[in-house]
Amino acid sequence: MAVLHAWRAARVTPLGELHAPPRMTAVLVRLIVQVVLVASLWNGLYDRTTVAAGMSRDQAVTYAVLAVLASRLRELDQYAGRDTVIQHMHFGTIVYWYLRPLSPARYHALRALGEQVYGAAWALAGYAVCLAAGVVEPPRSAAVAGVFVLSLLLGQLVLYHVMLLLDQMCFWTVRNSAAMLILIFAQNLMSGVYAPLWFFPAWFRTLSTFLPFQATLNVPLSLYVGRIELSDAPLQLAIQAGWVVLLHLFTRFLWRRAARRVISQGG
Amino acid sequence: MNAVKIAWRVTRLNFRSQLEYRTEFLLMVAIGAIWQVSVIVFATVLLTRFTGMGGWDSSDVLLIPATRMLAHGLFVLVLGRMHGIGRFIQEGQIDVYLLRPMPVHRQVQLQYFPTNAIGDLTVATGLMAGALSRSHLDWNAGRVTYLIVCLIGGMLLEAALFTAVASASLRFPTADYWSRWLEELLGTFGSYPLNVLPKAVGGFLTFGLPLAFVAYFPAAVLTGHGHDTGVPYWLAAASPLIGVLAYLASRLLWRWSLNHYTGVNG
Repeated sequence: MAVLHAWRAARVTPLGELHAPPRMTAVLVRLIVQVVLVASLWNGLYDRTTVAAGMSRDQAVTYAVLAVLASRLRELDQYAGRDTVIQHMHFGTIVYWYLRPLSPARYHALRALGEQVYGAAWALAGYAVCLAAGVVEPPRSAAVAGVFVLSLLLGQLVLYHVMLLLDQMCFWTVRNSAAMLILIFAQNLMSGVYAPLWFFPAWFRTLSTFLPFQATLNVPLSLYVGRIELSDAPLQLAIQAGWVVLLHLFTRFLWRRAARRVISQGG
Repeated sequence: MNAVKIAWRVTRLNFRSQLEYRTEFLLMVAIGAIWQVSVIVFATVLLTRFTGMGGWDSSDVLLIPATRMLAHGLFVLVLGRMHGIGRFIQEGQIDVYLLRPMPVHRQVQLQYFPTNAIGDLTVATGLMAGALSRSHLDWNAGRVTYLIVCLIGGMLLEAALFTAVASASLRFPTADYWSRWLEELLGTFGSYPLNVLPKAVGGFLTFGLPLAFVAYFPAAVLTGHGHDTGVPYWLAAASPLIGVLAYLASRLLWRWSLNHYTGVNG
């Protein structure tokens, strides 16, 4: 029965997407155009040079294209379904999360899991096409591929907890859109979505090591393209796992505190 | 005149309402600034690592993000509520606007005060000042006038693109998804010489999604690269005019879409 409940909760947002063909078409077109543009840009930049910031042309293109594909993992439109935490807080419907035979923390995690699995299907299909077309390089060895998958999973867990922190903030603030935009910006900038972190100044990369964002994308992608050697992988994986544990404990604490702040309308 | 008075009063009230939540207000100013800083960071990273991008001097390249960002800041301040209008449509707000004695477009623009525009414009002005101070060009009255006209043209072109998406949102609310992508594309690909891209891709960003007319062509004309853009010089120089024409066309599209709008209740 628990599995059935989990399945039902996890498939909510993906089902919403599957019932909106225009949105799926838009996702497909956007993904194709974005990959072509990003690959063209990095190929164009490397026209007069072979290595920049310790990265070859192939490494940079592969990193940038994989970053585009990975950003698809968490991009579903919960707002259209009126199921974001800020909307529930605004409309007072957050109280229903506390009346169901499923804890809010678990419901939130299951929803995110469903979204990420759905997003992963898109990313995987995109990766297969890019690999077949020669846009991205294959991993250098089976070991690299294995470490990359493990690192990507840990990165997604870190990302989930970062996004969860944003949602939890809604319990304490009436508005959180600005904070959310700032955090999303920080996440994109410091994880390597805008440009591979290796192109940034040294002080910026040092700063990034103290924050969880680079663990979400930069570490797995750098492992994949070989910018982080396999011998350094255990340390990087340990740091990612450390962030997961730390953020998990903190968000669990916040769930408990958040529950005390929920009151149904009318007291 | 009366319409201007009403718009001004509503704007003042909107501004005061934004001040209700002071922290949110300051954060919104910050987000405008931070968003623009991200564009600068991206452009700076590329400029530092790949000098002589597209055959342009780095001080000339800087004029592209400065022009684009200032035009974007003006768009956010004056016409920016077209971005993200899908939410109003989904919530049925447009149906309410249709009942009031004021054009719907104006009501949409007066929906709220764009606090983030303060941050946008502050950073953009700073970058433009930096770009002009590093420029080796002779900034005579003609060049300055052309730059100002280009900024207005860039603002109108960006407004035209978002108005076109907003018009589509009136029929397909999920079309709003495109506006987020559009903003991302403008930020990422509108800030450096497009001649580093393959011709087909550059052609797409000129004739398919005309973001080259926002800043790249105006900066090319100003810095003497106008003949190397891949389009006739006169077309690159006419960028502001294209902005005006595109905006007028988008307003016609908006009017047509609004006339064919059917709300949830039919």
